[in-house]
Amino acid sequence: MPSATATTATKMSSTRPMSGDGLELKRLFTRWQRHGDRAARETLVRRFMPLARSLARRYGSSSEPFEDLLQVASLGLLKAVDRYDVRRGYSFSSYAVPTIVGEMRRYFRDSGWAVHVPRGAQERALKVRDTQERLTRELGRAPTVNQMAQRLELHIEEVVDALAALQAYEAFSLDARQADGREELASYGESVGADDERYELVELDATLASVLSHLGSHERLILRMRFVEDLTQTEIAARMGISQMQVSRQLRRSLDRLRALTRAPVQAG
Amino acid sequence: MAEIPNLRLSLASSPENVLLVRQTLSGLAEAIDLDPLELNDINTAVSEACNNVVVHAYEGREGPLEVDICAGAPSLRVLVRDHGQGIASTVMTADGDDGVEQAVGGIGLPVIRALARDAEFRDVEGGGTEVQMDFATARAGALEPPSPTDQPRLPAIASEGLTSTMALTIAPSALARTVLPRLLCALAARAHFSTDRISDTQLLADTLVAQTDGSLSAAHLGVAIGVAPRKLELRIGPLRSGRAGAIVLDSTVDGLGPVLARLVDAHEVTVEGSSETLALSVAAER
Repeated sequence: MPSATATTATKMSSTRPMSGDGLELKRLFTRWQRHGDRAARETLVRRFMPLARSLARRYGSSSEPFEDLLQVASLGLLKAVDRYDVRRGYSFSSYAVPTIVGEMRRYFRDSGWAVHVPRGAQERALKVRDTQERLTRELGRAPTVNQMAQRLELHIEEVVDALAALQAYEAFSLDARQADGREELASYGESVGADDERYELVELDATLASVLSHLGSHERLILRMRFVEDLTQTEIAARMGISQMQVSRQLRRSLDRLRALTRAPVQAG
Repeated sequence: MAEIPNLRLSLASSPENVLLVRQTLSGLAEAIDLDPLELNDINTAVSEACNNVVVHAYEGREGPLEVDICAGAPSLRVLVRDHGQGIASTVMTADGDDGVEQAVGGIGLPVIRALARDAEFRDVEGGGTEVQMDFATARAGALEPPSPTDQPRLPAIASEGLTSTMALTIAPSALARTVLPRLLCALAARAHFSTDRISDTQLLADTLVAQTDGSLSAAHLGVAIGVAPRKLELRIGPLRSGRAGAIVLDSTVDGLGPVLARLVDAHEVTVEGSSETLALSVAAER
């Protein structure tokens, strides 16, 4: 990795006189690498720790416990301090950054990050969902993302990501019971009682000839509450005894099915 | 070779807009089934390039930030562009060991170099810098590139009267389907929408992408979005003659009415020559 940048870096350094600080660094590297002076190594590591810290923060994007990633980045920094060749002329940071980033990438690959992180994201999504429900009860209306972020001490971006996960079109398997839409419906089916039947009678005539007849009765009910009665998703959730996110997923799924049922090919021109 | 991008994002170079770029990349990852590790690499590198524009391009002020994405397999190309003094003069030379402060400030470029398979930095005609990053995407699918004969230029959507705007042009609709809901979610969150209204906004995004497919007078769907406090305003186009009104009617479901109209607080058709724009506004509360 460093050899690829060596030629251009040499050119750059030849145009810039080395500052006093640069000379001091050079001395430290020589003391450690030639004479095995551990104190010099420690000074170098301490000095460039902010670089490792900064890279860990950038690369981690809040998906991995920061302390773990910082440890990996520090290991990369140690390797860079040990291997950096001061005679080549390029700056230490231009050697250390790819070394540290490479260390973090390897760690992500080897630690099964792709398996762990979705799990972490899922746990966060569940926390966001629970907080949304708690805040809805406290405030008497659906909270904003800011309110949830504040309550959970999360960054706005993390809450937005959690919402995307919760609303993902492919049913987000929050737990086994709700693994797909059908079971989701079954799990709250019992909680919907007399109200439901009343709706059924009223809407029967209107839907017989409509595409709505292709949907289940709960799906129709939720669509009617949202688009005919103009209830908010939170109000619908309260009436159905389900979460607003479930209402949202149901609506998305239903509308998509309706579009698929009614789609007529649009003529170009 | 100037490739026609699948997606162009035009934003102001503010720190919070980098989040929108990241949401766009997440939507892209969903569309092409990108490996999560590769997405993390791409996210990190592109965020660095964008942050460099935010911090360096306009001497602390805001200016235009443009991000192009070309998603042809096997590599993914992302271009980050500014029209300021450019990052070339500031960041590219900040590569000394003259103190850790500078080393930390100037690590954006080495990070990009470490993460992208190939990275190029060049001047933009008329001022500014463009960073071109190519990423190997082993497992990802490719999106069909927009046909250059179809529409040599990306459609510009009029954004007069919108405050704090951003615009995107996007093709094919498979990409719009995963990107637009995420972007609108992030923008609705910024405009202090409640979660149920954010969900409505995502229904709106789904509906718009579905209804405009086949109604556009260009290869790309163009969307301009204005973010006001507690309000989002959208312009959608360019639509073929007569289609702006038609897509609202086409969203009608027997027994429910025009779904698109129910999801917005106001909608209006603007005709400009042979193409039309649909303007929509959504409030944080009804």
